[in-house]
Amino acid sequence: MSQTMIRDAIPAADLMTSGHLACPGCGAAVAMRLVLKALGPRTIVTLPACCWSIIAGPYPQSSLRVPLFHTAFETGGAVASGIKAALEMRGDTETTVMAWAGDGGTFDIGLQALSGAAERDEDIIYTCYDNEAYMNTGIQRSSSTPWGAWTTTTPGNHPKTHPKKDIMAILAAHRVPYAATASVAYPVDLMEKVKKARGIRGTRFLHILSPCPPGWKCADEDSIRLARLAVQARIFPLVEVEHGETWRLSMEHAGSPVEPYLRMQGRFRHLADEQISQIQADVDARWRALERRVAASAG
Amino acid sequence: MKKVMMGNHAVSQGVRLARAEVISAYPITPQTQIVEELSEMCSDGRLSARFIKVESEHSAMAACIGAAAAGARAFTATSSQGLALMHELLHWASLGRLPVVLADVNRALAPGWTIWTDQNDTLSQRDTGWIQLYCETNQEVLDTTILAFGLAEEVDLPVMLVLDAFFLSHTSEPVDVPEPEQVDRFLPRREARYKLDVNDPRAFGALTRPDVYMEMRLQQQGAMSRADGVLGRLETRWRELSGRSYGAVEAYRAEGADLLLLTSGTITSTARHVVDQRRNRGEAVGLVKVKMFRPFPAARLRRILSRAAKVAVLDRNISPGHGGIFAEELRSALYDLPHGERPAVFGYVLGLGGRDVTPEVIGDVVDRTRRASKPERMDLWEGVCA
Amino acid sequence: MPEGIPPISISSTTTLENRTGSWKYIRPVYRDRVAPCNEGCPVGIDIEGYMNLLREGHADAACDLLLRENPLPATTGRVCYHPCEVACNRGHLDGAVSIRAVERMLGDRALQRPPPPSAQASGRSVAVVGSGPAGLACAYHLARLGHAVAVFEAAPEPGGMLRLGIPDYRLPLSVLEAEIGRIRSLGVEIHCGVRLGRDMAWKELEHFDAVFLATGAHRSRSLELAGEDVAGVESGLDFLRRVKLGERPEVGRTVVVVGGGNTAIDCARTAWRLGAAPVVLYRRTRAEMPAIDEEVAEAQREGVAFRFLAAPAGIETRDGRLVGLTCVRMALGEADASGRRRPSPIPGSEFFVRADTVLTAIGEEAGTESWPEGIGVTNGGVTVTTMGATTLDRTFAGGDVIDQPRTVAHALGSGKRAALAIDARMRGEGAGSSVDEAALRYGRLGNVSMTRWRADDPISRNGATNEVVPFEDLNLDHYGSVPRHEIGLLPLQESRSLAAEVNPGLPRDLALEEAVRCFNCGVCNQCDLCMIFCPDLAISRRADGTGFSIDYDYCKGCGVCNAECPRGAMAMTREGL
Repeated sequence: MSQTMIRDAIPAADLMTSGHLACPGCGAAVAMRLVLKALGPRTIVTLPACCWSIIAGPYPQSSLRVPLFHTAFETGGAVASGIKAALEMRGDTETTVMAWAGDGGTFDIGLQALSGAAERDEDIIYTCYDNEAYMNTGIQRSSSTPWGAWTTTTPGNHPKTHPKKDIMAILAAHRVPYAATASVAYPVDLMEKVKKARGIRGTRFLHILSPCPPGWKCADEDSIRLARLAVQARIFPLVEVEHGETWRLSMEHAGSPVEPYLRMQGRFRHLADEQISQIQADVDARWRALERRVAASAG
Repeated sequence: MKKVMMGNHAVSQGVRLARAEVISAYPITPQTQIVEELSEMCSDGRLSARFIKVESEHSAMAACIGAAAAGARAFTATSSQGLALMHELLHWASLGRLPVVLADVNRALAPGWTIWTDQNDTLSQRDTGWIQLYCETNQEVLDTTILAFGLAEEVDLPVMLVLDAFFLSHTSEPVDVPEPEQVDRFLPRREARYKLDVNDPRAFGALTRPDVYMEMRLQQQGAMSRADGVLGRLETRWRELSGRSYGAVEAYRAEGADLLLLTSGTITSTARHVVDQRRNRGEAVGLVKVKMFRPFPAARLRRILSRAAKVAVLDRNISPGHGGIFAEELRSALYDLPHGERPAVFGYVLGLGGRDVTPEVIGDVVDRTRRASKPERMDLWEGVCA
Repeated sequence: MPEGIPPISISSTTTLENRTGSWKYIRPVYRDRVAPCNEGCPVGIDIEGYMNLLREGHADAACDLLLRENPLPATTGRVCYHPCEVACNRGHLDGAVSIRAVERMLGDRALQRPPPPSAQASGRSVAVVGSGPAGLACAYHLARLGHAVAVFEAAPEPGGMLRLGIPDYRLPLSVLEAEIGRIRSLGVEIHCGVRLGRDMAWKELEHFDAVFLATGAHRSRSLELAGEDVAGVESGLDFLRRVKLGERPEVGRTVVVVGGGNTAIDCARTAWRLGAAPVVLYRRTRAEMPAIDEEVAEAQREGVAFRFLAAPAGIETRDGRLVGLTCVRMALGEADASGRRRPSPIPGSEFFVRADTVLTAIGEEAGTESWPEGIGVTNGGVTVTTMGATTLDRTFAGGDVIDQPRTVAHALGSGKRAALAIDARMRGEGAGSSVDEAALRYGRLGNVSMTRWRADDPISRNGATNEVVPFEDLNLDHYGSVPRHEIGLLPLQESRSLAAEVNPGLPRDLALEEAVRCFNCGVCNQCDLCMIFCPDLAISRRADGTGFSIDYDYCKGCGVCNAECPRGAMAMTREGL
């Protein structure tokens, strides 16, 4: 195929409604939409505090056509565990229970509950839509914020000085049966991963890069493009990890330079050329490490 | 069938009989035996429940919230630091109107590290919207565990059942264990009014604007105000079934007393003994036991206490900077009684951190209260080395 | 307690209550544009359109769309110089779509199908003079528009240059005849052996409502050197005509062809097939050669030698027999009017080239002997408007008699323009042309579209504009690199035949893959990407299958749809806000 003809791969039916309160160009809105398309109506979502707490709409609205439980910031893994246990006790083993958390609720405050759920291999899907900072509260750094990025708590003259936490490695270390990264720019890949996850029992982790135009200081229309560039530049490789051991790349990653990706975003505007080179070197090093992992699990 | 068991195991037995469906807990002394026993029950089939062995009390409450939201009967147990860690989610359970039942073994808060009893852990959660029931005996613990589920599910509020560390939790007493069939008739399977249901998809807990938030709070308050009556009706049924009931407030030898002791938890048993002694000596001393702290049974207390001249409140807790918490609550409950009917409230802070409250200590409270013409401006600390 | 407020925050409605579309300050619209191939095609074919139909599995509909504009697709699919492929945006990525091969596949398929339908008879009649590609195109389009057409051809058989100038190994006669047969089956009468001005007077055409003049350009330009009439020196066109008519001339070993156009290449390759070792002498370089690139490459494959920057300066004879040419080396100077650098001889650079035969192919001129009296002439061609109207009433002209590039495609295009103008004139009851020419053309530079003229486009379009989509407006992220299918030629040892078609085209499956390679520039092909990526679920498919609707009540104007549209078929606008 010379172009993405996705209409056969993606069902038309949506489990989300218009009028939600995401900002224009929100990657997280696209992410939820695609994930629910793949999961179908037998899904219960629990939503710790994140942008989606707002996107989902205020009382008495909901932008989801599946049951949705808003919960406290750090509880995604635990609340999902409880919901699943209740369903099982009532004889429902088919409904998918999904925790849907931002990077703050996953990498930071919710990491403990996620780790607990993963260690117990709770039969849930935990999805982190990652916009790389606390966006809902107004762009504060999280442990998912990349090195060098501006946020309101890592100002331009002192941007973030620590690299993004490797959440996939953390989940892999829990040996969950399935963990995968996905990008809203690759909807077919994303949905295939969700469907695959749906067919697996145990804790399944999905990490979806979800660009945030207001937080990344990019054009609204560029959110999908950035989600794509991040993959192509190997900043956000698309991988699957099974049982923490088998690492697999989902597609070719062109290895395009990181600079165009960074330069499209105001949050990196302050970076000097040498800092961009440093980011490139870091991306390259991490890519080599990933390739070694992939090679090791293939051999 | 009567069995000798510790208070912790009385909780476990109550949970088993109530057929909790989802249990989630994290170990903490002196509660741990509750969940150890429940683990045994789940694994040997005595109880059909999913036990989620979480990594923190916070997650324990979160899991219970999720389970209750999905329609299941959920239980957890904790103490002290654990309860404090749950604090945020205690609000969530109550405002979400989720009938989770929590057993808290009262343990004082650190530092310094302590495992012994006082009520500051549970009373710190006074405003989280939980019904709080304080128990005096292991039998009451078992019965109250079952009652708690019935109460919670009828008013859609979570219930905290409270027992003293060691004095109940690790103390063996004979306990009559009802037959499962009896309890099943009393407490059928939970049918949630609202639940997560793929056939009726709704969002729970979404952003709530100022124009409706208060109305929801008011309904929470309304449910609280119904709890006393509902507990009474449940106890009536329970008495028919088991021959036992306790009441939100119990008056013991209070008739004609000019001095009433007001207690909660195991201090009550010691106080009963002191009251008996004093009555035998002809002193008009009586006792009021407060089982239900939230909702606060103000009307009942006004009715009982308006006939006494003095009330001595024994508080195994302290609100630093103010005083004993039961005493404060009582003062505010009595404030609108007409002058002349309003007894003088003498507050005594004692027994913190597990310090023993002996008959002698309570006797001293009686004597000091009798001697005093009016309460001190600050509650008195009883049994403290100066 | 206020009525209806539940005890908890529980939903009872959806976010559809929020008209979040009010947030936007700019909005997307579907705005179909024109693919550069369409604009680049002198015939004026909706190439993008048939590519999309093919990709969608509607091969017959693709044939029909093609036949709306091009009466001879099996022919042009073989011989066209395919400027469409030069214009193709895919050329900037990984190689232009093999448009000509796809057209050929469709053209061959169309010959297996019944002829296309014609409109109801108009009662009008048109005379077409000349049956080359221009005349055939004009006749075909007029017939399909419901007019009676009589074609008058001087030669014994119809086809003009297609029949007499293009060798069989490029265009088998059977293909041409089949395509002419389709035109005949539309009711077009072709009278051969009738030369206007000789066999028939122009006056005899007066009863026709209109006349189309397309007698072509058959007169080879002279080298203007002494000895050009010596045996062994022949015009390339005469040589090709003789071979086409079945002669097998003795050309000797060394055949020198003078010229750089398609006639020159045809001559050289024909001579090779007759056993010669041809040399092409061209006064500019390879880059300036007007011949079709592939033809030159194929000639080189066949061993045809090229001497660039060389021009004949004298015809050398010995004993009245041709022995060769004296040539002079040329240097390229300033660009001339055609944009090509003008060659000039280098003094003293003369050299000798041996030749058994010299074939001249430095251009053709129109013969004026068959032109009606009094017709206006400009630069040696019939004076015409852009729609083909001559200075004479009811008289139109096209093909090589007018001043335009002498290609089959241009001839077909001029025939179509004239047919359209004639149709307009007749429908307009004699009032002048009422054609909005600019609106009928693909883009600014393309030819007119018969589909647009008939206003019965089978392809649904959204807010179509006549802008051409530049490469920069495509979103290449949605196209993987898929190299163009190169066409495998007949093996060299089998190619030395005058009859064997040297270019077999692409097999059907590979031609289909080429159609899939098509970007569908500028036209929504319902790939769904806009709908899938819309964060606000504001885009939906129309129930009638004609494309998408944007619900502006919910569209926040983020522009993701427009940014992600692979083919530049959307735009952001402040209109209506």
